[in-house]
Parts: sequence; structure tokens; C-alpha cells
Amino acid sequence: MTLAPPAAPNRSFVDRLTRRRRPERPDRAVVVLHDVTKRYPNGKDALSHVDLVVPEGDFVFLVGPSGAGKSTLIKLLIRDEVATRGDVLLDGHDLNRLPRRMVPKVRRKIGIVFQDFKLLPTKSVWENVAFALEVTGYPRRQIAPAVNRVLALVGLTAQARQIPGQLSGGEQQRTAIARALVHDPRLIIADEPTGNLDPLISWEIIQLLQRINDLGVTILMATHNAEVVTALRKRVVALEDGRIIRDEVGATYHRQD
Amino acid sequence: MLTFVIFSLRRAWQGFWRNIVMSLAATATMILMLLLLAGFFVLQSGLLRSLEFVEQKVEVVAYIQNNATQFQVDELIAQLRADPDVASVDFIDRAAALERFRQAQIAQGRQDLTQYLESNPLYASVEVKLTNAAKVGDVTRSLEAAPEVRQVLNIQALVDRVLTVTNVLRTAGVVILAVVGVIALFIIVNTIRLAVFARSEEIEIMRLVGASDAFIRWPFVFEGALVGLLGALVTLGVLYAVAEPVSSFMVGFFEIVPLSFQTLARDTAVLVLAVGVGIGTFGSWLSVRTYLIR
Repeated sequence: MTLAPPAAPNRSFVDRLTRRRRPERPDRAVVVLHDVTKRYPNGKDALSHVDLVVPEGDFVFLVGPSGAGKSTLIKLLIRDEVATRGDVLLDGHDLNRLPRRMVPKVRRKIGIVFQDFKLLPTKSVWENVAFALEVTGYPRRQIAPAVNRVLALVGLTAQARQIPGQLSGGEQQRTAIARALVHDPRLIIADEPTGNLDPLISWEIIQLLQRINDLGVTILMATHNAEVVTALRKRVVALEDGRIIRDEVGATYHRQD
Repeated sequence: MLTFVIFSLRRAWQGFWRNIVMSLAATATMILMLLLLAGFFVLQSGLLRSLEFVEQKVEVVAYIQNNATQFQVDELIAQLRADPDVASVDFIDRAAALERFRQAQIAQGRQDLTQYLESNPLYASVEVKLTNAAKVGDVTRSLEAAPEVRQVLNIQALVDRVLTVTNVLRTAGVVILAVVGVIALFIIVNTIRLAVFARSEEIEIMRLVGASDAFIRWPFVFEGALVGLLGALVTLGVLYAVAEPVSSFMVGFFEIVPLSFQTLARDTAVLVLAVGVGIGTFGSWLSVRTYLIR
């Protein structure tokens, strides 16, 4: 098997990764939130009247102080929580009316990356990535090629046999990104992916996410990192007290808390 | 479907070995609890058999008129043997009764005074052993109604008292066994909950990457069954090892009490295996459920 160097993936590799992706259509949205309110049992509205449309192929920063509702928004998208009012659509699936047994199937369309990586410490990098395919009933014969492909994409082919404890923070986060990507998702949700990393490594992770975005995967990244947001000049959605107070392309962001 | 079962079994096997500390802790708890349960089960069985043995000692003695013919006596014995409540009937004639009295006197070291008797003052008797001690009243009444019977020893009050005691002991045995069973159940299930809790992050990751409930649940359930099976097998090994010395120590007990060692061993093995695998499976199923319902 030929593996392309991660920095410059060759054409056929990109074709394979994106083989099932439909041609980009601007009218097709991966995420649609319409007038969404989420009230927790304690009576507090974590989100109120939120409207948000994320078209396919977009790169969106979700910013705002702690408690603004970023985590709640992400929980609604992965259907860990259900909206109290309003509609949440993910790739055309109405999450409020999604039957319970369908939830895992829709979750496979999303790759999730966390601040604390959430890797299994006893499994190697390779096994951590393969785990996502094994536990979702992926045909066994197709697991190895898929895992090798994404490890090449994130540049961890050489570290495949190491366990997370032997890796740097950046490498651990790249492992988590590989795991999020191995399902060929429509959307990557990154919740503070650089929160535990130093600035230089943070840039590596951002560049990796950008490269994945260039391959056509939609990215929604919640972050506090004002430097990154300002430098990338992507679309920025700012939340405060559960409302969207700003939604513009190329915006800057100043950390307030 | 088959691939799913193979997948779950492989994951269960991996899960057991990769979390060997928690797996062994759960297995050790399982072994201790099963030993406790098996011990009480054996005690309970011994108690039940002993009580039955005591109850079978109940005997109705009826004295026969001296003028009763051999034919009448045979008739009476045949009638008694036809009764399903009667276990056995012994006929003691007058000579045998006198001989028995003599032997009892000698055994107690008293002087044999019967040699001074001119004639045998004792009556012949039938001694009736019962299958069910509670039927002592019925048998006594039917004997009293027979014309050739002179007198029936009334032991109703004594039997009632014995039956009260044996019933209390029987109930206490069942209650204690049930309490021990419930305690064992809770401790085993709790240990399995801990083992599953130690892997809650793994379950969370499975949910996040879109594993269906079945893919999360069954490997854990199989792993619980594996812990149960392993615990049960070790327990049976320990029981087998101690069975020989204990049974030789209690050989006298087994001789008196009609307790079949083979039956008891089989019942204990079935109990240990069923409880081990059953609680292992059920405990895992219950523990994983907590993480699936959202």
C-alpha cells in the first residue's frame, strides 16, 4: 500500500477520502438550528432563540465566554441533549424527532474532538482509531486500510504502535482527530481542541483542521483562542448568555473572560 | 448476527484481560460470595435432612389385647401397611417385649427382677413408624378404634412440640439462606458496577463515535458472564478440594442422616454455576444500562 506524505496528500488519496461526498451544493446545510431554546431542569435557559445555518464545507468558529452556551450547542448537535423548543437538523435529520435507535447512525456523520482528547490509555494510536470502526460494526477487512489512511493524513503513521502516554499533547490530539475522521464524517465538531496545547502545537492542530476542511469536511470549532480566530479570518459565531450576538465572516475575537 | 456475536465475545475477552485488576477483583468477590452461598446451601440441606430424620423417629406404639388371635394381629398389621402415612410396622410379641425389658434393665446396671415373676406381665405391641409425623393423630385414632388394641400410647403433645421446633428451624434455614443470597447478589452486582464504572470513559467514547447500544452492551454482558463462569469454576474447584476432608470428618453424620452426598454435590454445583453466570450476566446488563439510557 502506498501512503502519501501527510503534508501533501496526492490526488488519488484525497479522492478516496472524499469518494462518497456529494458535489458541493451551497444550498445544502450540514447544520440547521431554527429558533432553538434549551432549558435545563434547573430552569436556566442555556440557549434561547438561536438560529444558525452551517453550509457544507464551511469552517465556523464558535466563540464566547464560559457558560455562554457553546457546550450546550454541541450537546444538541450530537444529540446528547434534546432542544426544549425549535428544530435542530443535522445533515437533514431532525434530531428532536430522531428515534433512539437511529441516534448512533447519525452520530457517525459527526467526528468529535475534545480538549482532553478522550483516548483510551491502554490502546495504541492505531487501536484507538480502529476502535471507532470496530464498535460501529465496520467490516473487519476494511478497517486496516481506513485506519492507515487517516493516520497518514494526520501524520502519525510512524507513531501508530505507541500508546497515548508516550505521545506529546499535539500527537494525542492528532490521534483524536484521526479517530474523528476515520468514519468519513460530514461534520467535525472540535470542542476547545487547542485548550491543553501550547501555541506552536495549537497552530499545527489548526492547520490540520484547515487541511481537513479543504478536503470538503465541514468544521465547527468552539474555542477561546482569540489569536487563532483573528488570524484565520473565518466565519465567527459569538454566543453570549445563550444568544448569538454576532455571526460574521472574517471577524476578530477578543477574549472577554 | 454471527459476526456480531464473535465480535462481542472477542471484545469481552479483550476487556477481561486489558482490565485484569478489576476483572480479578470482580472474580474474587464472585468466588467469596459463591463460597458463602454454597456453604449455607450445604448447611441448609444438612439441616433439612436432619429435621426429616428427627421427624421419622416418631413412632406410634399400640398394645395388643392378650386374647387377640394371631389372625386378628396379622389383619391389623396388613391394614397398617396399606396406609400411605405408615413407613414400617414392627410386631413385638410378649416374649420379645419381656426380653427387651430385661436387656434395658441390664444395660442400666439394675438387677434383673423379672426372674421373680411367675408369668409375663407385658403386652404384645405393634410399633408403627410414620412417613409424615403430622399424621400421628390419624394413625393413633384408627388404632384406638381397632377392638384387638388394648391401648395406644398418646404422644400427640410431644409430636406437636417436636414439629413446632422443626418447622421453626426449617423456616429459619430458608430465611438465612435467602438473606445470604440477597447479600451475595448485592455485593457481586456492586463489584461489577465498579468494574463497569472504571470503564465509563470507554463507554462514553463508544457512544460518541456512534456505537449502537447492542455493540456497547453485549461485550460487557459476555464479560460479566465470563467473570461469573470463572468465579463459579474456581468455587467448585475449592469446594471439591474441601469436600473430601469435610465429608470424612462428618462421616458419622452422613451415616445416621440419610443425606446423599452425590445429590448434594450435584445440587451445589448447579446452584454455584447458575448463580455465578446468572448474576455476572445480569449485573453487567444492569450496570451498562445506566450508561445507555439518556
